[in-house]
Amino acid sequence: MTAYETVIGLEVHVELATKSKIFCSCTNGSDAEPNTHVCPACCGMPGMLPVANRQVINLGMTAGMMLNCHINRTTTFDKKSYYYPDLPASYQTTQWFAPIAVNGYVTIQTEDGPKDIRVKQIHMEEDAGKLVHDNWSYTTLVDFNRTSVPLIEIVSQPDLRSADEVVAYLERLRSLLRFAKVSGARMEKGTMRADVNLSVRPAGSDVLGVRTEMKNMASIAAIRRAIEYETARHIDAIENGIEELVQETRGWDDDAGKSFAMRNKETAGDYRYFPDPNIMPVVIDDEWYDRIRESLPELPEVKLERYVAQVGLSDYDAGILAQSRAFCDCFEGAMAVGAAPKEAANWIITNCTGILNKRGLTSEDLPVPGKALGQLIGLVNDGKVSSANGKRLLETLFDLDSRGEDIPEDMVAFAEAEGLVNSSDTGALEAVVAAVIAADPETAQAYRDGREKALNPLFGACMKQLKGKCDTQVLRSLLIAELSK
Amino acid sequence: MDRDALLGLESLNQLALTPEEQDEMLAFFAAREADWESLAQVDTANVERMVHVRPMVNVLREDVPSQPFSREDLLAQAPESMDGYWQVPRVLQ
Amino acid sequence: MSENTLFITENSCKKTEGGFDIGLDDLVLTQDAATSAGSKMLAGFKSLFEARIVERLREAGYDIAGKVNIGEFGFDFLGESSYFGPVIDADGHLVTATAKLLGDSSVDAVVGLDVNGAQARAASLSGQVHLKPTYGCVSRFGTVAIACSGETVDITARSTKDVQQVLDVLAGHDDADGTSLPASECARLTTAGFAEAVGAGEAFAAPITHVKVARGLMNSADADTKQLMEAAIQTLSSEGIGVTDTASETDDLFAVANLAWNILMCAELCNNVNRFEGMKYGYHTEKYQTIDELYTKSRTEAFGYLTKVAILYGSEVLATGNYERCYDKALRIRRLVSEAFASEFAQGASAGNAAGQTAILLPACAKRAYSLADVEANPYLAFEENRFTAPAAITGLPALTAGGVQLVGPAFSDVALLRLADILTADCAGKEA
Repeated sequence: MTAYETVIGLEVHVELATKSKIFCSCTNGSDAEPNTHVCPACCGMPGMLPVANRQVINLGMTAGMMLNCHINRTTTFDKKSYYYPDLPASYQTTQWFAPIAVNGYVTIQTEDGPKDIRVKQIHMEEDAGKLVHDNWSYTTLVDFNRTSVPLIEIVSQPDLRSADEVVAYLERLRSLLRFAKVSGARMEKGTMRADVNLSVRPAGSDVLGVRTEMKNMASIAAIRRAIEYETARHIDAIENGIEELVQETRGWDDDAGKSFAMRNKETAGDYRYFPDPNIMPVVIDDEWYDRIRESLPELPEVKLERYVAQVGLSDYDAGILAQSRAFCDCFEGAMAVGAAPKEAANWIITNCTGILNKRGLTSEDLPVPGKALGQLIGLVNDGKVSSANGKRLLETLFDLDSRGEDIPEDMVAFAEAEGLVNSSDTGALEAVVAAVIAADPETAQAYRDGREKALNPLFGACMKQLKGKCDTQVLRSLLIAELSK
Repeated sequence: MDRDALLGLESLNQLALTPEEQDEMLAFFAAREADWESLAQVDTANVERMVHVRPMVNVLREDVPSQPFSREDLLAQAPESMDGYWQVPRVLQ
Repeated sequence: MSENTLFITENSCKKTEGGFDIGLDDLVLTQDAATSAGSKMLAGFKSLFEARIVERLREAGYDIAGKVNIGEFGFDFLGESSYFGPVIDADGHLVTATAKLLGDSSVDAVVGLDVNGAQARAASLSGQVHLKPTYGCVSRFGTVAIACSGETVDITARSTKDVQQVLDVLAGHDDADGTSLPASECARLTTAGFAEAVGAGEAFAAPITHVKVARGLMNSADADTKQLMEAAIQTLSSEGIGVTDTASETDDLFAVANLAWNILMCAELCNNVNRFEGMKYGYHTEKYQTIDELYTKSRTEAFGYLTKVAILYGSEVLATGNYERCYDKALRIRRLVSEAFASEFAQGASAGNAAGQTAILLPACAKRAYSLADVEANPYLAFEENRFTAPAAITGLPALTAGGVQLVGPAFSDVALLRLADILTADCAGKEA
């Protein structure tokens, strides 16, 4: 039996995390009600002129540097023409002649050790709109919110050899882009999409087989299934010859677990690229280049190592934190205001993760600034806020974020405003203790008789009266002192 | 440029010429061959292309969103619309 | 459509005594009236925003008289391709609606978009004054984009004074146009900015003391045109302007400038009018089953023949097999033409006129009158006789048509050109009367 080798290259589209679109100033938010983030430019009306968003260039450079690319110091935009209802101007502004970044690589971990996947180029471009197929009217509905949302397209060389490698590559890309805050890179939200170019050849051959392209794959699991299916289909075609392989664009039906040929007029055409006369070249001088270079984040594996070796976390804790840029930022921010590393890690891994899970959020959605968490931990440790109220405050921060409100700068003032700070008035505590003992003389006597457990109901009664707002250590010693009188 | 190539070009540009227009268009293209030949006579071997007549660099805007346009206004001139969407004949995926 | 549609939409408020009314050509977007770009495709189209130049005119207190008829997408010869019909003057000559309105004193100036020289030709034939300003000094924001790399907002009026008055309002930087030059450079086109620069002794504000005749192009025009050119040369010489000829290398480049410009213009036009397909706004066909049918029928039914020619030619010059020898070649020839101009301008000044600037003198069109029959006999005049306007279009240099002839000067020499033209128009005004 012949052994075969699968040869795969990926084109990965990633939506950039900007506030506004790439060539007009509509809000970047394709989840909104249809056609509510649209202006005459992004619905194809005449008269507007494109002016490129500086942050798109910053993020394009950042992505290029994260992927070890050469940054083209002069980069330009070009027009690509084709007709499709999701492309309102009937052209897409992209980079054809001088893309932002070229010749990089991404290192993935495989069974045989680390492997570099070469990145051919990264170019910046605008996204197309969204089409919704309405079955009742048998028409297609067009939403231009996503039109002109900034994208980068990361084109790999055909260096991938298996579904496992593809998955490792995508996961690594996702992690790098999230750490650099280039993109949320959420496949489930469509902010990261992959086109898979695949061919099969006998192992050892250096001639490429017939290549098929599967476009717009939107989940890692589906990509794995599609690669496995498509590989088998190619081998079957080569060996049995019933089906003739043709170079084509194919769709993937994940429910049926099958790929299918797409009727696709645009891919057959010639895109008529030419330089956009309305957009001046972008020239990146040393100062700009260095500023972006210096802003690059520590890589996740470097953070992990540092958290273990220098900060003293366990491999397990460090591993969890280093999976998420938001976790790392929160952790480091909390330490910066004096939180103990182990404690900060625990709060994130236990309390924060609990709330994230309950709300169906991911680790990258963590809305808690490190300073707030650090202050919160301090309040609890100082006995100013009870542990239960500390968790309540944490939850309140998530509530604020989900309502789009600002997280308070000063957690001490916020805890007081929320009425969750312990009373520091010992006189008031003594009064409560005296009243509780007076109300339950039998339990008090049992304690004095040596039943230590009898302290618990008295303590609980005090806490109830104080509504939890007290330093529990102080309360406990006051109670014991009063009973010992 | 022959008639088949012209048909392809029409299709790419979403146009359908009449046979008479096609004849005229083919004659037009034939005449342009002479233009291209005249241009080829000009030595441009060491000449940089000039996309912008008054060159500048880094004409960029800050990443600040603006107020949206009204969807009703945007859709007011649409031939077909439904539920806040433009509406077109079914496009097969 | 009927002949002699001058206004596509006309403002009801009539001209006030002593007022200064401005017409806008149909490529300039306004919110209160439709903008149709001379095309059935956009007939009745209402923009949701206004061109920057319209904002500036309104802020300066000018009345907008209405939207003036132009050829479809503004790139034709003399407005003959308009969906609203061509305009014929009392002598049976083909003119533009702009020239007719100015001749009738129905408006005092028309502001539009100069894509391919139509209004320069019309001004030349009508003895009016037309300025295509230095590229980048007047915002194109809110004009229907056709050939962005060379087109500029233009002004036609009866006198150089009227042109300057409007230019003073229009020139200025605009962040919404990525090709808009810095404010300090735009200001060079205004009376105030120019006066300041004269005081500072800046080169662009020096008077034009030397003119070079583009003899090759001049010789390709008819006898009447050559005679007009000779008269202009006489007038300039008698006023002490030095007159010599352009170098033969320059003439050779001017001879192919329009071939290169046609490639750039049609490619950009093709790409820019791709967006008009019947789906989002504008004309759409009555019956269609598929999206391709909607697109193809709408475009086929709405575009005129000349637009279809430009689209198909523009698409072809960008095709993979043609790009290098057509589009890329045209971009390189654009640089050669720019360099030829620069060398002519430099040599003129060094030839004993160190303190002055040099301009190029050339006709604006090949004949002194055209009829509808001329454009019917040759529908491609816009691609052939644009050889006189293409050198300025492809380089973005300022071009002034006055006294029937055209002057092209160095970048930012707009005001200096207008002052030089005073000599020509003073003479011409006598003759025309």
